[in-house]
Amino acid sequence: MKKLFIFLFVFLAITSNLFAQNGKKYGNKITLKEKTSISAIQENPEKYVGKTVLVEGLIVDVCEKRGCWIEIASDKEFEKIRFKVDDGVIVFPMEIKGEIVLAEGIVEKLTFTKEQLIEQGIHQAEEHGTTFDPNSVTKGKTTYRLKGLGTVVK
Amino acid sequence: MHWRRLLKVLHRDIGYLAVGLTIIYAVSGVAVNHISDWNPNYRIEKTTLKLDSIPYQLSKDEMVNFILNTLNITDEVKNSFRPSPNELEIFLEGKTIHVNYQTKEATIEKVNPRFLIKETNDLHLNKVKGAWTYIADVFSVSLIFLAISGLFLLKGKNGITGRGAWLTVIGFAIPIIYLLIYYMINN
Repeated sequence: MKKLFIFLFVFLAITSNLFAQNGKKYGNKITLKEKTSISAIQENPEKYVGKTVLVEGLIVDVCEKRGCWIEIASDKEFEKIRFKVDDGVIVFPMEIKGEIVLAEGIVEKLTFTKEQLIEQGIHQAEEHGTTFDPNSVTKGKTTYRLKGLGTVVK
Repeated sequence: MHWRRLLKVLHRDIGYLAVGLTIIYAVSGVAVNHISDWNPNYRIEKTTLKLDSIPYQLSKDEMVNFILNTLNITDEVKNSFRPSPNELEIFLEGKTIHVNYQTKEATIEKVNPRFLIKETNDLHLNKVKGAWTYIADVFSVSLIFLAISGLFLLKGKNGITGRGAWLTVIGFAIPIIYLLIYYMINN
C-alpha cells in the first residue's frame, strides 16, 4: 500500500506538470501576431464582424458567478468591450480583475429588443445586488463583443 | 474465482477509490446547482462610504491617490480605469474601489474565494484542465462500473431479479417522466 501511495504521488506530480497549462493562459493558444485596437473596433465595428482579432487591454470586470466573460478596457477613455466565452469552456477567476490581458476572439454583432434589454438589466441588477429601472430602457440596441477563443493574462 | 465474487471485490475496491471524488463532485454539484441563488465560488463583500468632496480637477492618477488617502487604504494599486466621466475604478489585490463622482460615494468590493467549495468547483467544472480531464474520465467510467456492478452483487429476492428490479426501474423512470412532462409543458 505504501508503494501504491508513492507511485500515485509521483504519477500525479508528473502528469500535472506535463499537462498543466501556464496558470495565466486561458483557452486556446493565441494564433495572431498583429493586435487590433479596441477603439478601432468600436469606431467601425461592421468592418470587423466575423473576423478574428487580437486585442490587448486592462481587465475591468469579470463574470462573478460563472467566469464566462471579462470586460477589457479600450485604449480610449470610457470605452470597453466584452469578451464572452461559452459557459465552462474557459472559467475566468475574479482575481484577474485589474490585470492586462492579450485576448483573441471573433467580433460578434448582437441585436437586442427593448424587452431583452429590460430582462438583462433585471438579471444583472440581481447578480450585482444593485437596482435597475426598466423605464430607463426606451428602445432596443445593437452591441458588439468578442466571442472568446484564447487569452494570456500578463 | 466465481464471477460474482470477482465483481464484489472490484466493486468494493473501486468504490473505496471513488469515495473522495464522489464527495467532491457531490458537494460541488449542490453548490453549482443553485448558482442562480448564490455565488458558489466567491463571497463578495461591498461597503459603501460617503466622501466629503471630490476634487474634479485632479488627473486620474492624482485622483487614485486622493481616494486611497481619504479611505486610508495602503494596498498596492494594480491599475485604474474610468468607465465614464463621472466614475473611477481602482483595482487592488482582491479588492476593487468604485468611485461615483456624482453621488460622492466610494464602494469597496472585497472578493473572498469560498474555502474548499471553490476548489471542489474548480475540479468538478474542470477549470484546472490538463491531466485532470483524463482523471475525471476515468472516474466517470468507474461510476458507470459501480452502478452496473452494484446491480448484480446480491442474489435472491432483494437482487436484480426481485426488489432490485423495481427500484432500478423507478430510478430510470424519475428522469424520464420528469423530462416527458417538461417537454409536454414547454412545447
